Amino acid sequence: MVKQFGKILKFEFKNYITNKVFIGVTLFFVAVIAGVMFFPSIKDIFKKEDSNNIPDVSGDLPVMLVISDTKENSEAVREAFAATFTNYEVKVADTDIEGVKAQIASGEAECAFVLDSLTSYTYYVNNLSMYDNNTAIADEVLRSIYRVNALVQGGFTPEEASAILTAPIEGRIENLGIDQMQNFFYTYTMIFALYMVILLYGQMVATNVATEKSSRAMELLITSAKPTAMMFGKVIATCLAGLIQIVAIFGSALLFFNLNGDYWGGNAIVSSIFGMPAGLFVYMLIFFILGYFICSFMFGAIGSTASKLEDINTSVMPITMIFVAGFMVVVFSMSSGNVDTVLMKVCSYIPFTSPMAMFTRIAMSTVSIYEIGASIAILVVSVIGVGILSAKIYRVGVLLYGNKPKIGSVIKAVLKA
Amino acid sequence: MKLELRNIDKSFGEKKVLKNVTLSAEGGKAFGLLGRNGAGKTTTIRILMNVFPADKGEVLLDEKPINYDKVLFGYLPEERGLYPKKKIIDQLVYFAELKGMSHSKAVSAVDYWLDRLGMTEYRNKRLDTLSKGNQQKIQLITAVAHDPQIVILDEPFSGLDPVNAMLLKDVVKEIISKGKIVFFSSHQMNYIEEFCDSIAIINGGQVVLSGDLREIKRNYPRNRLVVRSLQNEKIASEYEGSVERGENGDIIIVLNTPEEKKSVMSKLTETYDIDEIKVYEPSLNDIFVEYAGDQI
Repeated sequence: MVKQFGKILKFEFKNYITNKVFIGVTLFFVAVIAGVMFFPSIKDIFKKEDSNNIPDVSGDLPVMLVISDTKENSEAVREAFAATFTNYEVKVADTDIEGVKAQIASGEAECAFVLDSLTSYTYYVNNLSMYDNNTAIADEVLRSIYRVNALVQGGFTPEEASAILTAPIEGRIENLGIDQMQNFFYTYTMIFALYMVILLYGQMVATNVATEKSSRAMELLITSAKPTAMMFGKVIATCLAGLIQIVAIFGSALLFFNLNGDYWGGNAIVSSIFGMPAGLFVYMLIFFILGYFICSFMFGAIGSTASKLEDINTSVMPITMIFVAGFMVVVFSMSSGNVDTVLMKVCSYIPFTSPMAMFTRIAMSTVSIYEIGASIAILVVSVIGVGILSAKIYRVGVLLYGNKPKIGSVIKAVLKA
Repeated sequence: MKLELRNIDKSFGEKKVLKNVTLSAEGGKAFGLLGRNGAGKTTTIRILMNVFPADKGEVLLDEKPINYDKVLFGYLPEERGLYPKKKIIDQLVYFAELKGMSHSKAVSAVDYWLDRLGMTEYRNKRLDTLSKGNQQKIQLITAVAHDPQIVILDEPFSGLDPVNAMLLKDVVKEIISKGKIVFFSSHQMNYIEEFCDSIAIINGGQVVLSGDLREIKRNYPRNRLVVRSLQNEKIASEYEGSVERGENGDIIIVLNTPEEKKSVMSKLTETYDIDEIKVYEPSLNDIFVEYAGDQI
């Protein structure tokens, strides 16, 4: 049995690593990552060549017009706005409202603030963009002008007034737990990778089993090897192949990152991903392997009940749905900023969702070692249970041809076997 | 070596597939399992090979429950199929290794059989580049390469041309002569008749006839005479009422008792110009149709 398992493992593993598609996909990902990682360096080379003919863009700033009730006010507002709206050329309009409107319509100016007083204005703009926050900025500037004026009238000098209004507050952050901001990106990346990889390789196992069944090689296999040896051999071989692929992809990404450290060091997201603590990476591996196992065993069992390759996609739907639901819960609680909700806590103990949920909690919150241990223990026990169960389903399933079997009849047959 | 199935029952859901099946096959002899489609042949074979257990009954080897870890089976399934995209040598060695052979022994055994079946030139080709008949020869190797004690061949001759059928016959004879148990399942009666010493006919999940093939034939009532003569019509009119039409214009005279045989034969040869006269022996085909023809 153990010997058989070894033979099957070797055979299946060799299948993967000599498979042209497998090699091709791995190389493709490495190439894409290389492309992204080396992009800044390559861009720099071109930039240096082009640096002499970069045009001076300062003359092309869009025009913002201001006009107020008095000339002094207009000038004061223009100064204040010019200091704030650095991406506009702020001018005092030399016409009336109709003239301003005409200038905006003709495209000479992009927008205009027409003030009745220092606390009341109308904003004219040609097209109000979704991201236009000019009015909010203008409100702030006008409010501060108003306050300074009020303080000056109350007897303060303008310097004193602006010092009062901009009194600096000194604040320090002492983080005793985990910095969610910093962890967000790599946790997100890892969860996404976990989700993708587990489903992808699970699907591979299902396809592998169904292919053997539809080519009728199964007739011979089932009389040559123990179903348990076959199931475990296939699943572990796929897992090893998957790990090699992941190591190749992530390893080359890490290498390229280090080679281009000068360019990416300043990028918070990218350097956060590669700055993941080693301990967390170990958890990542544990949850990846266990999560992969539980999923692949189920997929293998389902693959064995399908008579045609086309049936697999619909048959694996329920398991895929559980995974998608788990992924959604995790991603929503991550973006809500609280990963310790009751739902997340429950999910971090349910075998199918715990790889993603528990990993997220470890990465983004503080979880006691006992909780982690309990979650992993539940997962390990479920993996063994599901493994044995799936080998039984497999034994029954591979001999069922024709119509898609009903779940009830499969369960009955498994109980009898 | 004697392989026995005793009182095997098997149901799938509500459907009773095997009812009290008892068979026995001996080493050095070939056993033929006959039955119409859906009669329960494949289920019997699968229980024999422990793919799934019987609901009731036992499988015995030399009077003791068979130990599946020790006994090696070779199996040529009716539904043929291996890995179409794999190199022939790789998959043959893999299957031999699964049966417990070491890698080097598996390679040499596979090479021996490739040579024996004249397939050496395809050793490193992919399976799906071969013709159907040649794929079948490759599949035969998976059944014999690991030198099993019990060889189960399910419809081994279907799809083979006469030359390959001859080659397979030689191989089967060689395996039988080595004292192994060969278990045939087929619809092609002429091959069963040629190889098998004992048979069992299974119909509707029940064994309806089993035993030594020659004895079965001898036990048929010997009260029929097959007569071939140019004067067939005259003979037929003389024995009107007890004449059946045989093949090729022969006539079959049905006698009231087997004892009349001698007198009728001598009377016929004296009176008419007889080319051939013999006691009618049923062919396996006739026996099969008689026992398995009615129901499933």
